[in-house]
Amino acid sequence: MMPIWTKSGEKHAVTLLKVQDCHVLRYVSKEESGAKTAKLLVGGKNVSPFSKPESAHEIFKEAGVPRKQKVTTFNVTDDAIIKPGTPLYAAHFRPGQFVDVTAKTIGKGFQGVVKRWGFKGQPASHGQTKTHRRPGAISTNKAAKVYRGKKMAGKMGNIYRTSFGLKVWRINTKHDIIYVNGSVPGHTNCLVKVRDSKLPTYKDCNKNPPFPTFFADGDEELPEDLFDEEIFQFTDPSVTFA
Amino acid sequence: RVSSDGKPPKFQPPPKPVIVDRKTQKEERRFLSPEFIPPRGRTDPLKYYIERKDMIQRRKVFNIPEFYVGSVLAVTTADPYASDKAKRFVGICIQRGGKGLGATFVLRNVIEDQGVEICYELYSPRIQAIEVLKLEKRLDENLMYLRDALPEYSTFDVNMKPVPRMDQEEIPVNKLQVRMKPKPWSKRWERPKYNIKGIKFELPEHKMKAAQKWSQPWMEFDMLREYDTSKIEEKIRKELSEELEK
Repeated sequence: MMPIWTKSGEKHAVTLLKVQDCHVLRYVSKEESGAKTAKLLVGGKNVSPFSKPESAHEIFKEAGVPRKQKVTTFNVTDDAIIKPGTPLYAAHFRPGQFVDVTAKTIGKGFQGVVKRWGFKGQPASHGQTKTHRRPGAISTNKAAKVYRGKKMAGKMGNIYRTSFGLKVWRINTKHDIIYVNGSVPGHTNCLVKVRDSKLPTYKDCNKNPPFPTFFADGDEELPEDLFDEEIFQFTDPSVTFA
Repeated sequence: RVSSDGKPPKFQPPPKPVIVDRKTQKEERRFLSPEFIPPRGRTDPLKYYIERKDMIQRRKVFNIPEFYVGSVLAVTTADPYASDKAKRFVGICIQRGGKGLGATFVLRNVIEDQGVEICYELYSPRIQAIEVLKLEKRLDENLMYLRDALPEYSTFDVNMKPVPRMDQEEIPVNKLQVRMKPKPWSKRWERPKYNIKGIKFELPEHKMKAAQKWSQPWMEFDMLREYDTSKIEEKIRKELSEELEK
C-alpha cells in the first residue's frame, strides 16, 4: 500500500495489484452452463505443472497455456467474448474506473466470539467468575431452541470477501500494475479477482473502456503510466493555493 | 656532485613532503536518506522499486536536503486558509519515521510557552520548501524525551538565520546532555529499552539500578534480529546517483 496525493493536496491510500500472466482459458456459453450470461474462465499466476495430475492439465492444454495457480469465472455478455489463450493485461482497466476486488481474507484460525463477532464480553472484575470473553446467553426462554446461524466461536477468516466500488487511480502498463483506492481483502502477495463494479452508482462510470479487452498487438501505443485526472504527478511543481 | 669552485656545493634543501591524508580521502561521506532502505518483510521488491522511481521523480523537481534527527529545519507548506497562502514552521527534528513515499519527520518547537510538534510528510506535494538552518546530529536517533525536558532545550528562534557550514566537513555531533523536568515523565526514559544517552539523569542511584532490572542483554546477540543493509544500500545508492544525474 502506498500514499497518493490529489491536485488539491489530499492524501489517499492506494493498494498495488499486479496482473501476473493472466490468460483466458475457456468459453462456456449460456446454454452449456444454464446461467443467464455466458462465462469466461480466466487463469492467474503461472505455477509448476508437476504438483497436479495430468487430468487437471486439460483446460490449460486446450488453451495452450502453462498451469495457473487460480482459475476464476467472469460473467460476460455475448459481445465481450474473447478467444481462449489471449493474455489479459492491466491496461484492460483505465484510471477513473470503479472496480470490485475479491480475495480470501487472512485466516485467523479458531477464534472466540469477541474477536470473531465483536461481542462485548463481560467486565474484568466485580465478581465475574471465569467469565470475561464468553458469549453469555445464546437464546431466549420462549424460543426453546438455538436459532440456525447463531453467532458463536469458530474458524475465522480464509473466506472470500469483496471490497466494492474501489476507484482505479493509476495503471502502470510496463509492469502491469493497477493502483486501487483503499484496502483490499487478503494478505500481501495473495491472489485477487478484479472485476468491473456492479454497484448502481458506478454503472455509467466507464467511458470508452478497451472493449472487449486490451490486446497488446502493437496498434495502440500506451504510455508507461496512465494517471487519473485528479492525481498529483511528481513531475509537476508543488501544490499552491492561489 | 661536482663542486663548482672547490667550495662545498650549495645547500639544497630537501623537497617538501607532500602530505596525502589518505583517511579523509577514503571515507567519502555518502548520505542515503533512511526512507529508501526497504524494511524486512515478504513484499515483492518490485513494489519498492516502483516506489523509489516516484521518490526520485519528486526529488528531481523538489530539493529534499540531507538532515538528521537533531537538526533545526524550517518548512514552508501551502495552506488555503493562511494569508499569503503559505505557512512556515521552524523546529528541531525529533523523529524520522516511515519508509518509501510515506516517510515523515516530526519538528518540535516551543512557541509562546506552548510546545508544538508537527509531523510533515517528506513527499507531500503541499510542502513548498525545506531549509536546514542547523545541520547536526545528536547522541540519540529519537528525541521524544524533549517533551519531558526543560522547555529551553526545545525553543528555537522562529527567525533564526541558517548556520553556515562548509560542504566537506563532518557532521558535528552535539553531545548535549539535556536536563529533565521532575518526574512523572511520559515514558520511563531511564529504562535500558530506550537506550538514551542524551539525558543527564539526576535520579538517585538506587532508581537507576532498579531501572536496569528491565534490561535485556541477550537482544544484541539475537541473530534473527540482524538486518544487514550494506549491500542493499550500495545498490540503492548506485541507482539514486544514476537517476539523479540524468
